[in-house]
Amino acid sequence: MVTSAPQPDRPRRRFGLRGPHLGLRARITLAFTLSAMLLSVLLAGTTWALTRRNLIDQRIAAATRQAYLNARIMQPQLRGSQSDPDAILTSLSSLDTQSGSRSVLRIGTRNPRWIAQLPTFGKDALPPALRALVDKGTPARMTIDVGGEPQMAVGIPLPRVDAAYYEFGSLVETNRTLESLSASLFGAAVVTTLAGTALGWWTSRRTLRPLAEVSVAAEAIAGGRLDTRLGAVDDPDLGVLVSSFNHMAQALETRVDRDGRFASDVSHELRSPLMTLSASIEVLASRRDDMPDASAQAAVDLMVADVGRFKQLVEDLLEISRFDAGAARLDLSEVRLGELVTQAVSWSADRDVPVQLDSELAGIVIRADKRRIVRVIANLIDNAEKYGGGATAVQLRKVAGGVHIAVEDNGPGVPADERDIVFDRFARGVGANRRSGTEGVGLGLSLVAEHVGLHKGRVWVEDRPDGEPGARFVVELPVAWS
Amino acid sequence: MGTRILAVEDDERIRAAVKLALEDEGWQVEEAANGEEALLSFAQAPTDVVLIDIMLPDIDGFEVCRAIRRTSDVPIVMVTARDDTHDVVAGLEAGADDYMTKPFAPKELSARIRALLRRVRTSEPGNLHLRFGDLEVVPDEGVVRRGGADVHLTKTEFKLLVELASSPGRVFSREILLDKVWGYDYFGDGRLVDVHVRRLRTKVEADPANPRHVVTVRGLGYKLQT
Repeated sequence: MVTSAPQPDRPRRRFGLRGPHLGLRARITLAFTLSAMLLSVLLAGTTWALTRRNLIDQRIAAATRQAYLNARIMQPQLRGSQSDPDAILTSLSSLDTQSGSRSVLRIGTRNPRWIAQLPTFGKDALPPALRALVDKGTPARMTIDVGGEPQMAVGIPLPRVDAAYYEFGSLVETNRTLESLSASLFGAAVVTTLAGTALGWWTSRRTLRPLAEVSVAAEAIAGGRLDTRLGAVDDPDLGVLVSSFNHMAQALETRVDRDGRFASDVSHELRSPLMTLSASIEVLASRRDDMPDASAQAAVDLMVADVGRFKQLVEDLLEISRFDAGAARLDLSEVRLGELVTQAVSWSADRDVPVQLDSELAGIVIRADKRRIVRVIANLIDNAEKYGGGATAVQLRKVAGGVHIAVEDNGPGVPADERDIVFDRFARGVGANRRSGTEGVGLGLSLVAEHVGLHKGRVWVEDRPDGEPGARFVVELPVAWS
Repeated sequence: MGTRILAVEDDERIRAAVKLALEDEGWQVEEAANGEEALLSFAQAPTDVVLIDIMLPDIDGFEVCRAIRRTSDVPIVMVTARDDTHDVVAGLEAGADDYMTKPFAPKELSARIRALLRRVRTSEPGNLHLRFGDLEVVPDEGVVRRGGADVHLTKTEFKLLVELASSPGRVFSREILLDKVWGYDYFGDGRLVDVHVRRLRTKVEADPANPRHVVTVRGLGYKLQT
């Protein structure tokens, strides 16, 4: 026999504790988002850089061209009227300058005079480095800041007249254009990233939809609908999954069917010899008192009792196999609940158990499968007889949404950790380990659970509410109180 | 001469054991191992009750039942291996009066047979004539006429009709009818009543689909409409 030692807990991957372990769907979405973001940032960055250079270059080229032109215009005037600053200023003002351009003139080198179109854009606004370059006779340009605004200063030496022409060109417009461009590009990048996220989400949903279907189908199979299958798919990658899933489901269904049929077939086959036994034992039992031998009498008694038990076992097995095969159907009819319970008690092993009926329930009619409810009550009373020293009361209560049928005993009760397993097949209470003549076959309570479940009700065991020792089995049947 | 039961059962051991047990109960038992033997035996000697196993090797139990019903109103008890709706209802519709599920106690079968053989009791003595429209029931003579013509009912159908006719207009629950007609306690099978009411309607109603005499009272039972 193979025994397996309890396995130490193997280390498991713990999601959410050690790091960003994300689900497949989140990962696909994230990958799409990051790709879209990277791509859009790259595109926007390139666009911005290229555009910026173009714009600035254009601006510089235009401003420089304009400055040269203006310098050429100014040069002859300087020669003629060197000492007339007003005339020069007038000429400066009449120059065809681009919007925002300001001109400055330096006349003389040794003792220079400065004539500025506007006082703000005078000698002091020009950076000394630029002035030094121009003084040496080199045309130069520089980007500077005047009064908080970006400006470009172009300096052109005019050596023939011992002067220099400077011109400020505003870069405000260009910068504004660049700013609005960068804003647009940023917006476009955000939109692209969001679109990537959306696309990723949609793609992940589409990709994982077959998995969701597999999960739904697996749940259905777990829920007992063994004939659940996945529909055919065109995708060869998914086809493998679908076919192996369906194969598994088929194998499971076949096996469950076979097991179910086996139990059913065995029970049916047992009926014929049991019929012979049942009839024969009756003949023997009727002659029991005529038997001279006490041993023979005792043997007959044993056989009578065990043929009865055998019959009950076969009946219970057949009932269980019908549940397992999903062939159990409710045979619903209107029944008077109070009458049903009273009759069930009178039919059970202990017909003297008092029935306590909630006065609200007197004469109430519910829809139920009479035979099954009778079996439920009888089995609970039999159970109390076997393990709880006999039922002390059967109570019938109206509760919200249904009724409670409770069977109480004053036996040892059911320990908390056994309260679920008492409804398992062939489970027996602790008090029943000793094989006694009254021992049942252990299917009674599991059948109770099956019958009640078929009625969409519940059954459980609890302590007696009055604090006395003993168990209280409660069956809850749903009733739509109008 | 005692009451003669024809037991049709293909399993030799079961047949022998049931015969022993029923004879212990005081019945006279005739055996038949298959459908053909059963029909032959039924034709040759008067029989009071027939016990038929549904699973027979040649002609199945339903067919034997129908064949007997064509000529006789003898009480028939079907023996089924399963208490599935299908077998039980099919057996009752083939004409059986009651059914037993294997393995049954022969004492229980005896009780059923006694109930089936019980004669119709009427509370009032004398030649009672009950009339319901075109329907006329004479309990003491065992006669039912519809529109003046004799209607042929089995003993159980007749008992059911007389029971309903004993209090026209009163609603009889399935439990009460099971008790009065079949002698069952509270736990009889309501399908016995339902199938017999259906069979009864095909004989006493002009239009069995829209019964005017034996009507269903939803959720409660049946009543005979006056």
